[in-house]
Amino acid sequence: MKNALINFFKKIEPDKKKAPFLHTAYDAFFTFAFTPNATTVNGVHIRDGMDLKRTMVMVVLAMQLCYLLGTYNIGHQHFLALGEHGGLLQGFHLKLFYGLIQLLPIFVVTHVVGLGIEFYYAYRKGHSVEEGFLVSGALIPLIMPPDIPLWILALSVAFAVIIGKEAFGGTGMNILNIALLARVFVFFAYPTEISGDEVWVSGLSKAEAGAAVTYGWAHLSFLNGIFESLGWATYNAAAVVADGYTGATPLSLAYQGGWENVTRVYSEGQMLWGLIPGSIGETSKPLILVGALILVGTGIASWRIMLSMFLGAVTMSLLLNAWGATPFMEVPWYYQFYMGSFFFAMAFMATDPVTASSTNVGKWIYGFLIGFVGMIIRVLNPAYPEGWMLAILFLNVFAPLIDNYVVEANMKRRAKRAKMLAANQSA
Amino acid sequence: MGEFFNVFIKAAFVENLVLAYFLGMCSYLAVSKSVKTAFGLGLAVIFVLGITMPINWLINEHLLSEGGIFGMDLTFLRFILFIAVIASMVQLVEMVVEKYSPSLYAALGIFLPLITVNCAILGGSLFMVSREYTLSNSIAFGLGGGFGWFLAIIAIAAIREKMKYSNVPGPLRGLGMAFILTGLMGIAFMSLLGIDPAAFASN
Repeated sequence: MKNALINFFKKIEPDKKKAPFLHTAYDAFFTFAFTPNATTVNGVHIRDGMDLKRTMVMVVLAMQLCYLLGTYNIGHQHFLALGEHGGLLQGFHLKLFYGLIQLLPIFVVTHVVGLGIEFYYAYRKGHSVEEGFLVSGALIPLIMPPDIPLWILALSVAFAVIIGKEAFGGTGMNILNIALLARVFVFFAYPTEISGDEVWVSGLSKAEAGAAVTYGWAHLSFLNGIFESLGWATYNAAAVVADGYTGATPLSLAYQGGWENVTRVYSEGQMLWGLIPGSIGETSKPLILVGALILVGTGIASWRIMLSMFLGAVTMSLLLNAWGATPFMEVPWYYQFYMGSFFFAMAFMATDPVTASSTNVGKWIYGFLIGFVGMIIRVLNPAYPEGWMLAILFLNVFAPLIDNYVVEANMKRRAKRAKMLAANQSA
Repeated sequence: MGEFFNVFIKAAFVENLVLAYFLGMCSYLAVSKSVKTAFGLGLAVIFVLGITMPINWLINEHLLSEGGIFGMDLTFLRFILFIAVIASMVQLVEMVVEKYSPSLYAALGIFLPLITVNCAILGGSLFMVSREYTLSNSIAFGLGGGFGWFLAIIAIAAIREKMKYSNVPGPLRGLGMAFILTGLMGIAFMSLLGIDPAAFASN
């Protein structure tokens, strides 16, 4: 089976001279499927089967649970807003297909735009395609609202890849996290598409009672036909938003009236498992933690950053509790973690080995400051609903500086030790 | 004390002189190639801003305004006097640096005396006038603004040191990349924009 696949790949390999662009694209997919066994001719090199592509794929695998729940949750939130199929398993097929039809275009556009640019640059530079976009491309759909217009998505991905990465010299050289740069671009350039109460639930013309719902052709003609023939529930084209529905996210509720205001609408279980409105993949805490465990277990992500980020956030929220000037500040520190995207940012964003600090001491400082600053932005900054994206970008900027001083301190300490040793020996 | 702290935080992080107002760009871009020299220049800017702001405040309040010693409105002399104060302070810094750290003096070169015309410094004094700061506020703004400038320049210097090893496309090498970086850092600093420390202190 495997050999047949290799033979097939070898057979379709385009000629490098005649069709360089095609060959670049081919090479990218071939090395994705198989670890290349090319060896260097001169000198001794140690190679590990766990090369960059394998590392990246591991991260993508760790995200799959978030994708699964994200797909379901798009549909679930949509039907909750309509007041239909309220139970977890009711209308399961409707929710799943609704989510898929929302998520797939986002996923495809992200990859077509991002990989397209990567392929083009690789071809222009005469390199093989760098694998950097695999992870960014998997992350970007998870941090977008489900209704994001595709042209805005395409624009933001192009901005992040060209300005954030290719200008800096390609994979592994970027200073800011690519996925977050794409999101922050949307956030500042098209703020109405990614903030407020209306954007987190898909398919509603407005988040108020009686507003109409739009279903595309695929739902009403194609899927409904199939579901009807199977005798299952179908999409209801005449559905309207249920009474009393606001679409407010836990964070905006907490901002208005503290934790009690949140629990009036969402139960703790819902928030924990992620059946709340939010960016597509960020809502479910346990599933994200499974991903985080995979990353820590394989040694890809740094547990130091995760732990120190958590400690930083706890410290800041305890300080805010002590201050207690607004209802949001009084939310007990452990409940802060039920809301928003803290765990997603911690597991997949802050630990990005390229943009984080690379020294161990630096990682502790870096993570702690992200937690600290992120909580400040979340609670104290009225302009932004959530802090982690901006906090991570903020600390990305300072990560090289932290490293610089950690290394310098280390050098000083060693020089001192060497001096003392020399003095002891001469004495 | 609370207000002093608020103004400091706001000037340093929320309304960073470089990354929110894009002031003091010339030395920021020119001297940010290594962390060491950037650190020295940053300290010099903190010092000059921190000293000139209160002096300028006193001049503005007691010499130039109508309630001052001369009893008439001399505010048209503001620019010239502010610059004179800044220039003399920079001269002082220059002499100190030359005496105690000749290597830093050589590394900074023309950019040390050029702090005189660094718009962040004159800008700081003019902000002080237009925002009607009190004396303690202007000290806080001077120190905070200087600290923010210092942070921005050592951060970009560390990034540019790291980027020595990157394969940046030819046309963007050097200054082009520094501009892109500054823009991206500006985005990152926008995270704190909009926080008003005073709004919480009053509760």
